[in-house]
Amino acid sequence: MMLDVLLVVGLVVSAFFAIYLDEAIHAVLSLAVMNVILSVFYFSLDTPFAAVFQLTMGIGTVAVLFLAGEMLTTKVGTAQTPRQRLLGLMIGVLLSVPSILAVGHKITVTSPFRFPFSTALWELRAIDVMAQSLVILTVAIGIAMIFKEKRRRP
Amino acid sequence: MEYIILSMTLLAIGIYGLATKYDLIKLLISIEMITIAASMNFVIFASSLNDALGQAFMILAFSVDTCITAVALALVIIVYRKLGTLDIRELSKLKE
Repeated sequence: MMLDVLLVVGLVVSAFFAIYLDEAIHAVLSLAVMNVILSVFYFSLDTPFAAVFQLTMGIGTVAVLFLAGEMLTTKVGTAQTPRQRLLGLMIGVLLSVPSILAVGHKITVTSPFRFPFSTALWELRAIDVMAQSLVILTVAIGIAMIFKEKRRRP
Repeated sequence: MEYIILSMTLLAIGIYGLATKYDLIKLLISIEMITIAASMNFVIFASSLNDALGQAFMILAFSVDTCITAVALALVIIVYRKLGTLDIRELSKLKE
């Protein structure tokens, strides 16, 4: 129960800071913290595959965003003062109050359909996985074409 | 099931970011937040129904979200190289 509350507060506060902070690098770092807390949260929900996937993909996305933020943005002079950051922290904690109240009322429903994860992914959703690989390939080719087009017409 | 409010809170934070921020990287972070809130529902229901299918859906959905982020980031880099700004207000003025 205590761990749940801590995870909920950490998640909402880091999510709010990812939007609230003016400096892009700090916001991206806050997003990274949010991804790590979310992964721990998924572990606590007994969904380990989702947790590992969230951690790997989330950190990968954050790394790319971090590089982009570092390359493309300059330090802004209007970054928040410590007082404004404290205010942001308080707003984040306030935003997490409804979720904390809901944590106390756990509802457990058992599904009549129970599949192991490998069956769910490789047998029930096999076509989706194949289509997914096509989507990823198309995206990779698309991004390569965007940059190639740019190089051709500087 | 009780964590639906948590995912709705994350969704609200993402929408707040989309509505109030002007930096393209911040907008990307907001979109990422919204997609995380959406895919979180799969995990919450998978956990409460004790069914692994939700985890499979989450993995499929999150892969597509990451692809969207990659394409958006590529476009952001192109926009910055071409126009030298990431502020959407200035980009709107350039359109005129």
